[in-house]
Amino acid sequence: MMGHTEKIWLSLLGFTLAGAWLAESGQAGWPLTLAVVFLICVKATLVIDHYMEMRFANTWIRAVLFGFVGMVALLVIVSHGWSELIRKLTTLG
Amino acid sequence: MLVEFLLLFSVYFIARAHNPEAFLIGPGRLATVAGTGITLLLLTSGCCLVKAVAAIRTDASGKAFAWILGGIVLGCGYPITKFFEIRWNIAHGIDGETGIFYSVYYYLTLNHLVHVSWGLMGLMWVAARTGLGSYSSTDYRGLEAAAVYWHTTDVLWLVIFSFFYVLR
Repeated sequence: MMGHTEKIWLSLLGFTLAGAWLAESGQAGWPLTLAVVFLICVKATLVIDHYMEMRFANTWIRAVLFGFVGMVALLVIVSHGWSELIRKLTTLG
Repeated sequence: MLVEFLLLFSVYFIARAHNPEAFLIGPGRLATVAGTGITLLLLTSGCCLVKAVAAIRTDASGKAFAWILGGIVLGCGYPITKFFEIRWNIAHGIDGETGIFYSVYYYLTLNHLVHVSWGLMGLMWVAARTGLGSYSSTDYRGLEAAAVYWHTTDVLWLVIFSFFYVLR
């Protein structure tokens, strides 16, 4: 019988193959960006909570890890929809 | 490591904002199979480490040792795959000077590879300690710490994979 760890591992493999399929589809735009954000968040949550066992850890340590994932997800969205803002903020002169 | 990579990722976002065309075309020339293969290897290696920690909690150090060894073998698949991926890249005219997308790709992926190499050395150390019976169900902090480091490299790779092979 399949255990909890194996189910998490198989889910991670499944989400990875979904990402590979998206990569090969060659799409671009909001649907792809949001799909990528979803995949990053779901896969990172599975690794953080189930591989690293952070669901049993100190709330602050868990918050730091999820803060990192949230920051990356936010930056992916901003870099797609508001790249002009990033350009302005990072242009000298 | 997270703060370090958040800074490294800012390079990606800034370069992407200033060169949207390069980041739109760039992923199409990379070998998705290599990025996918590395992801599958790391996630499976991580699963072995979860099993190793679970085994040591029941004082099954022989089992834990076998799982760590499995994790190391699969983890070593990463640098091997990377070696063939870079060879493939070079054969297809992709090096660090091909364009901004590929410069950032080499910069981030090779940085990650360095961290994975440290992780592998850490795993070899805890494998030796486990083999020598240094860990038990009441003291396995060293093994747990190495496993958490290894899983952190997993999380970082999941992001890097999305940046260079999937996102356009």
